[in-house]
Amino acid sequence: MPKRQSGNKKNKQSNFAKLSIFQPNKYKFKKSCPLSIKGAPPVDYKNIRLLKKYMSENGKILPSRITNVSQKKQRELSLSIKRARNLALL
Amino acid sequence: MNLYEHTIIARQDTSPSEIKQLTDKYSKIVEKNEGEIVKTENWGLINLSYLIKKNKKGSYIHFKIKGKGNVIDELEKNEAIDKKLLRYLTVRVKKFDLETNYFAKKEGEEKYDKKESYKN
Repeated sequence: MPKRQSGNKKNKQSNFAKLSIFQPNKYKFKKSCPLSIKGAPPVDYKNIRLLKKYMSENGKILPSRITNVSQKKQRELSLSIKRARNLALL
Repeated sequence: MNLYEHTIIARQDTSPSEIKQLTDKYSKIVEKNEGEIVKTENWGLINLSYLIKKNKKGSYIHFKIKGKGNVIDELEKNEAIDKKLLRYLTVRVKKFDLETNYFAKKEGEEKYDKKESYKN
């Protein structure tokens, strides 16, 4: 949860940093899904602000290995992102 | 009976009175087919993220409908012909979220988001 506190862009950077091949401390990189926590906002195609967090700047959907989203939520995310795209919201 | 969320995008040059006509027209279709409109939201003019039929903006109208599948069939049949509309989208939901309106007014939205970020 501490990572969510920082703004959108900072969050992305920290996520990409995780891609570094040399991962000294494996336990450090285990993180729970940000959308499965209690009080997390529901995934919805109308909530663009939330969806944008899980997309790259080019409008691609970020893989869950970077964002640490659980399988179930990732499926919901990708579906709602595609719905929002159809409505030209994203 | 199912619950549906239905959104339509009208052209950018439709006047407010025309948008009202559109909402009336489609609400009547819903009522004719024994459906019930729980809520209508007018999201106003929103910038499209890509051009649709050479339109940069579109006015969005959002319905929350309770009814059977034939309501949606009839709606989409009419909307596909309608030249004032650019797109439509129907989503079946299990539960309506009647409280949050993500497209309310810009000022209100920003304030709401700031509060949310503090909480996090």
